[in-house]
Amino acid sequence: MKLKVGFYGITGCAGCLLSVIFNEDEILDLVDLVDLKAFPFVKEVNIDEKFDYVFMEGLVADNDDLKTLKKLRKNSKFLVSLGACASTGCVPAYRQYTLKENYEHLIYKKQKRLQDLKASPIDDHVKVDYYIPGCPPDKKEIVNFVKNLVIGKEPKPFESPVCVECRQNGNQCLLDLGKPCLGPITAGGCDAVCINGKFECWGCRGPTKDMNLDLMIKMLRDRGFDDKFIQDRMRTFVGLKMPMIEEYMCSTGTANRLKTSFKGKKEYFE
Amino acid sequence: MQVFKLQKKGFNEFLEKVRSSYELIAPIKEDLVKFEKINNVKDIHLEKNSYFPVKEYFFRKEETLFQFDGKKFITPKLKTPTRAFFGLRRCDLAGIQHQDKVFMEDVNDPYYLEARKNSFLLGYHCPSAPSEYCFCGSMNLEEFFDIMFYDHETFFLAEIGSKKGEFLVKKFSKYFSKTNEIISEVEKTIPGTERLEKKDISKLYDHKDWKKGVDICLSCTACTALCPTCYCFSIHDEISIKNTKESERKRSWSSCQVPEFTKVAGDHVFRQEREERFKHRIYHQLDYFKEKYNVNMCTGCGRCIEGCPTRIDFVKIINEME
Repeated sequence: MKLKVGFYGITGCAGCLLSVIFNEDEILDLVDLVDLKAFPFVKEVNIDEKFDYVFMEGLVADNDDLKTLKKLRKNSKFLVSLGACASTGCVPAYRQYTLKENYEHLIYKKQKRLQDLKASPIDDHVKVDYYIPGCPPDKKEIVNFVKNLVIGKEPKPFESPVCVECRQNGNQCLLDLGKPCLGPITAGGCDAVCINGKFECWGCRGPTKDMNLDLMIKMLRDRGFDDKFIQDRMRTFVGLKMPMIEEYMCSTGTANRLKTSFKGKKEYFE
Repeated sequence: MQVFKLQKKGFNEFLEKVRSSYELIAPIKEDLVKFEKINNVKDIHLEKNSYFPVKEYFFRKEETLFQFDGKKFITPKLKTPTRAFFGLRRCDLAGIQHQDKVFMEDVNDPYYLEARKNSFLLGYHCPSAPSEYCFCGSMNLEEFFDIMFYDHETFFLAEIGSKKGEFLVKKFSKYFSKTNEIISEVEKTIPGTERLEKKDISKLYDHKDWKKGVDICLSCTACTALCPTCYCFSIHDEISIKNTKESERKRSWSSCQVPEFTKVAGDHVFRQEREERFKHRIYHQLDYFKEKYNVNMCTGCGRCIEGCPTRIDFVKIINEME
């Protein structure tokens, strides 16, 4: 019996679901390995009754999301959090760093069907069995996970920092060039793809358990970045899973915490 | 040891001849200096030592150990071409020598042996310390090369160190002329590289000064990746997507600087604390390896310091310990 699998998305950009499809060479073998019950993003007929595995993209941003998530959790034996939104909140969760009156009038008062719920990663609401982090997640990691679950194994998550693969790839350290690279505190497994392209790591795969955050912040300050910049950069993908950033920055007194006001021109968005 | 003279004028021509006979691998400068296959001998960069070590040509970053087709094991058929390495510094050569001890003396590692056996090692003696972090002069490195080139103003002196070296001299005899010059012990040393004071660090394991390094360590593993001798690897299986009964077992570089390195069944981690991991590398380099092989694992190349994002100089830390 093949495993019954579903790929779903709630609030997000669908980039993580695209990462699944971007395995062009392997996608046919991949759907052959499992019984793909549902994948509304690409499939016309989707049966959402009982699953062995559900891959969930996106974060909970309104009540519909929460309803979908809770239903799928109930219907699945194993829930995989797919990508940064589901795992850590990512960019859509950014609105929690500003006051409600800064954004409410832009969309929530106009679109009645949208209810403003605290934007939060899915494990704030349901139990998550496995995380495939990243914005977007590494497409090979998704295939690898599916292959492993077919033979009944749960792969080990990559817990070491991005630097491990980066150094093995023979890259020049971007911190040495004065760039604000978060590689040393970010979990790898992405083959250091950004740094391979000479672009610094923004930390999309989330912090390592072993990170030396104090030192990382000191290094960025030494390179001339102010606390507002450091805070914004670290919040971008994983702010909700790094409350220690908020605490750390707050204790230094220079950065704003949850008081950030919206400085853009209102009419631009209206 | 036999010594020959090569005029600098014809040296590139000699290297070109080597290149047309074998795959020539030497340092070139892009963003950083690294050992690469040479297409044009004019690209070879000798001013600065290589930022990356040469080890990846023998101890590959990732390689397949065997395949399993569902019924039987299939060992990979490896075929590395004969390669000539040029521009190897004393530290690079010592790194190869030390890895030979691990992969060829202790056990017969067929993957390493295959990559290593058909290779000529042509050294380049540093006229002065190429980096401020060098400390090879403190490490008692042994002579280990096929040919070592000593840089003089208009010529190179070539010291022959092995049968392979003699073979190359015969093969390219046009470029090697006889000379009465000898290479003195003084010429074999590199000035300014005796940074590490002689100390028995086995008694300093609990010294408070290690903290100076630990506090500014990110555990990013740059030190072990850039080390010419670090040889630890981890093993994983890759399942075939066409048939999940087929798979490949691979090994890839690993590092003692991360907690996962010592993670065992039940998720127990032996070296959980950063300090333990930090000290483990230094003690392996300067103490544990010596116990077993009678030489330091460390070659004093200083790459782990130069490549460290916070430039942790363990030599300085040890020197300052009381």
